[in-house]
Amino acid sequence: MRRLFLKLFRRRSMERDLETELAFHRDMAAAHGNPIPMGNTTVIQEHARDLWRFTFVENLWRDVVYGARSLRRSPALVVTALLSLGLGIGINTGIFSMAVEFLLSEPSVTDARSVVSVRMGGNSHSSKEVVEFVRASGLFQDVVGEYEEASINWNDGVETRQLSAMLLTKNYFIALGVPVALGRGILPQDPDEVAVLGNHFWRTRLRGDPAVIGRSIRLDGRPYTVVGILPNNFRSLIGFGFSPDVFVPRYLDDTILALYARLKPGMTIGGAHAGLLTVAQRLDKAMPESFRYADDIQVAAVGGFDRIKTETEMQTVGLFFAMLLVVVGLVLMIACVNVASLLVARGSARRQELAIRLSLGAGHGRLVQQLLVETALLSLAGVAFGLVLRQAMASAVEQLRLPLPIPIRLHLTLDWRVTLYAILLAGFATLACGLLPAWRSVRQSIAPSLRREGRMRLQRALIVAQLALSLIVLTAGFLFLRNLWRSNAISPGFDIRHTVYADVNLPPQEYKDVARKRAYVTQALRELTALPGIESAAAARVIPFTNNTTFGSSLTLLDTGKTVRALFHWNAVSPDYFRAMGIPIERGETFRMAADAATRPVIVNRAFAERYLPDRDPLGRAFLWGDNQTPYAVVGIVDGTKNLSIGEEDEPQLYEDLARIDNDRTRVQFVVGSATPPATQLQAVHAALRRIEPNAGLEVATLYSSIGLAFLPSQMGAALLGGIGLLGLMLATIGLYGVMVYSVSRRTREIGVRLALGADRRDIALMVLAGAAKLILIGSAAGLLCAFFLVKPLAMFLVPGLHPSDPVSFLAVAALMAITGLAAAWGPARRAASVDPMTSLRYQ
Amino acid sequence: MAKSDSPMLLQGTLDLLILHALKRGPLHGYSIAQTIHLLSDQALKVEEGSLYPALYRLELDGAIAAHWGVSENNRKAKYYEITRRGKKLLAAERETWSRLSLGVQRVLARQP
Repeated sequence: MRRLFLKLFRRRSMERDLETELAFHRDMAAAHGNPIPMGNTTVIQEHARDLWRFTFVENLWRDVVYGARSLRRSPALVVTALLSLGLGIGINTGIFSMAVEFLLSEPSVTDARSVVSVRMGGNSHSSKEVVEFVRASGLFQDVVGEYEEASINWNDGVETRQLSAMLLTKNYFIALGVPVALGRGILPQDPDEVAVLGNHFWRTRLRGDPAVIGRSIRLDGRPYTVVGILPNNFRSLIGFGFSPDVFVPRYLDDTILALYARLKPGMTIGGAHAGLLTVAQRLDKAMPESFRYADDIQVAAVGGFDRIKTETEMQTVGLFFAMLLVVVGLVLMIACVNVASLLVARGSARRQELAIRLSLGAGHGRLVQQLLVETALLSLAGVAFGLVLRQAMASAVEQLRLPLPIPIRLHLTLDWRVTLYAILLAGFATLACGLLPAWRSVRQSIAPSLRREGRMRLQRALIVAQLALSLIVLTAGFLFLRNLWRSNAISPGFDIRHTVYADVNLPPQEYKDVARKRAYVTQALRELTALPGIESAAAARVIPFTNNTTFGSSLTLLDTGKTVRALFHWNAVSPDYFRAMGIPIERGETFRMAADAATRPVIVNRAFAERYLPDRDPLGRAFLWGDNQTPYAVVGIVDGTKNLSIGEEDEPQLYEDLARIDNDRTRVQFVVGSATPPATQLQAVHAALRRIEPNAGLEVATLYSSIGLAFLPSQMGAALLGGIGLLGLMLATIGLYGVMVYSVSRRTREIGVRLALGADRRDIALMVLAGAAKLILIGSAAGLLCAFFLVKPLAMFLVPGLHPSDPVSFLAVAALMAITGLAAAWGPARRAASVDPMTSLRYQ
Repeated sequence: MAKSDSPMLLQGTLDLLILHALKRGPLHGYSIAQTIHLLSDQALKVEEGSLYPALYRLELDGAIAAHWGVSENNRKAKYYEITRRGKKLLAAERETWSRLSLGVQRVLARQP
C-alpha cells in the first residue's frame, strides 16, 4: 500500500534526486582522493527507476506505441496478417458460436437451472391428466406441458396456411417466466382462444405491426386473440433454434404433452428423481396403463453442461462440434505459420536495429517482449477483423432457410463466451506467430555468424509444417465431400425426381369423423389423378425422411404358431402409393378396394420378410399383431425405402391400407407422380386441393425439396469441412508463395552468377520449382502420415461403406496439394528465370 | 565494470551493512559507503551501482527515510535515517547473519 502510494506520488522527484545524489557522490569521491567509481550511471538510474515506477506497464505502453509505428511502415505484413489471422479467427469464433448455440445456450426462462424436463415410463409425452397429477402432487414448484410439433391452420383472409404451433398448458408462461417483447404471456385465467406469436412470424407475416396485440387471428377456423409477441432472441426449451410460429393453449383432448417442471428452491435433480418415483407409483395405482410410469423415470436439466451429460444426442452433436473446432483450430495454426514466416523474414531485415539495441544494454527479455507486443497488435487486429467476419457468417447462417419440416431460427450472438474465446485465440495466435520469430531474431542479432542459410531453414520448416497441417484439414474436407457424393448416389428407394408432395392439415372441428376423413382422401385422390400430366396419386400417413413411426410389437405367425418380437417402420398408404413413389412391388400386388374383411392386408418389405417371416414363402402368410384378433395377411412384398437417413441400412417396414385403419389424425400427406417435371405441377395440385377443402392448411412442394432433412447432415458436413479445407489450402498456398518469392529475391545474386556462368534460364526455373517440390513432398508426406491417424474417428459421421483410411482420399488430396503448391511456386520460378545477370551482379 | 579486489558482497548483506551504518545517525550516500569501507578495515568497498539501488529499495520498504540536508562541505546532499521499522529489520537481519556466519565458520573450521 505504502509502496504504491510512494510510487504514485513521488516518482517524478525521484529521477531528479538520483541525478543530484550521484553527482554529489562523485564529487565527494574526487574530493577525498578516492578513485571515481566506474559504475555505469545510466544502469544505476535504470535500476533505481525500475524500483520506483510501474516499469512493466510503462514499457508495455512504450512497446505498443513503438510497435504500432513500426508496423505502419510495413503495410504488406499488416494486410497479410490481418487477412490470415482474421480468416482463421473468424471461422474459429463462428464455429464456436454455433457450438455455444447448440450445446450451451439456455432456454428463455427465468432461472433455467431450476427447470427440468420430466419423463415417466420412458414416454417423452404424457396425457393432460398425467401433467395435472404430477402438478397436484406438490413435488415441484410448478409443472407445465408443451406439445411442440403441432400444425395449426392460419387463415389470413385470403389463403389458409399451415403454421407450426406449440400447444401449452396455460400456466406455461407464468411458471417458466418466459419473457415477451410486446404484450403479455398467456395467463391461467385466459380463455382457450388466446395466442402468443413468435417474433419471426410476426415480423414476416404480420409486417411487425405492434397494433396486432388485442386483435384476433383465425387459427383452425376459430378467432384467437393475440396477447403477446415473443422476443427475437427467444430460445425454446428443446433448443437447437427450434422456434414455432404461434403458442396457443392446448385445446384438443387427445394432445399429449412433454412435461417440464420447476424445482423447489434447494431441490436437486437427484432429489426430484427420488420424489418423482413415489409420485409415479401413486400414478400407476390411480391410472393403470399397459406400462408402468414408475419404470423408467428421467429428470434432466434443460440447458448447459448438465444437459449434455444426460442426453446422448447432445453428446453426438458435441462430438461433431469438437471435431469441427479441432479442424478450424488447425486452420488457425496454418494462418499463424503464415504470419510467423513473414515475421521471421522481417526479423532478419531488422537484425541491425536489434543488434544496436542489444549493445546499448537492452535485455533479451525486453526485446522479445517488444517483438511479441508487435505480434500481439497484429493478432488483436486479426481478432477485430475476425469478429467482423464472424458477424457476417452468423447473420448468413441465421438467414439460411434449412430444408427442414420444423422451424429453426438460430441466434448466434456475440456473448461473453465467444468474446472470451476470441481473446484466448488472440493470445494463442500471438505466441504461435511471434515467439519463435522473436526469439530467433534476438538470438541472431547476438551471433551474426549464423548465416542466411540457417534462416531459410527455419522458414522452410515452417512451410513444411504448414503444408502438413493444411493436408490434414483438406483430407477431412475431402472425406466429407466424398460422403456427400456417396449419399447422393445412394437411392432412397423411391423416386424423388418426379414426385409432388402435398401436406394437408384438415380443420379438426369439421373432420372429427373418420368416415369424413376417408371421404376427403378418396375425393382428393380422384381429382388429383384427373389432373393433366399426373400419372398417379396416393395418400400416406408417413412420408420417409419427413416423419417416421416405429412399432415394437410381438407378432404371432398363424402357420407355425411362433411369436416373434418385431421392430419395424410402420406406414398406412392408399393403394397407388407404390406407383406414385416408384417403389417396385416385387411379388404380390397392392391393396385392393374390395378385399375380405376377415383379414387385414399388409405389404412388407424384403427386410421384414427375411427377418420376421423366415423359412417359408412370405406371400400370403398371416400373423396376429399383439392382442389384436383380426389376422394380418401379407399381400405384397416390396423393395422398401430408407426411412430416416440416407446412409442407414435397410430396415423392416410394414404398410397397412390407409382406408382400413382408424385414422385419428387430421393431417393427410399426398404424393403425386408426375410425367412432367414436378415443379410445373405445383400450382395445379395446390389449386385442386384448395378446391376440395378451402379451410385446410396446405403446403405443396416437390418431394425432393421436402425431404431435405435426409441430405442435410451430409450437405452440412461437406459444405462446412469442404469450405474449411479450401480455406486451409488457400492460406498454405499464400504462405508457400510468400516464402518462394522471398527465397528467390534473396538468391538474386546467386542466380545472376549462375546465369553469367552460362546456366540455362529453364534450369533456373526448374531449380526453383524443384525447391518448392521438395517442400511440398516433405510437407505432404508428413501431413499424410498425421492425417491417416487423425481422420480415423471421423468414421462415425460418414455413411457406411466410406472408410476414412481409404487411400483414394489421400491420393486425391496429395495431388491437389501438389498442383496448387507448384502453381504457387510458378510465379517466383518465372521471376527467377528472368533475372538480368548484369543488374543482379551490380546490385549489392 | 572493472573487477574490484574487495570481495563480492552476499546478496542481502548490503542491506544489513547500510542499516548498521545508519544506526548512529543520518548519513548521506557517500558517507554510508565510506563508513562501511572504514568499519571493515577497508576490506569491503561498496560500489555506487549497488549502493543506490539498495538505498532506494530500503526507502520504498520504509526501513530508512530520506531528507535533503547540507553536507559538511556545504553542499546539498540527501541524508538517510533509519526508521523504527528499519531498526526491527536490522535486528532480524543481524540475527540471521550471525547464525549464518557462525554456521559457515564452523563448517570451515572442521575437516570433513
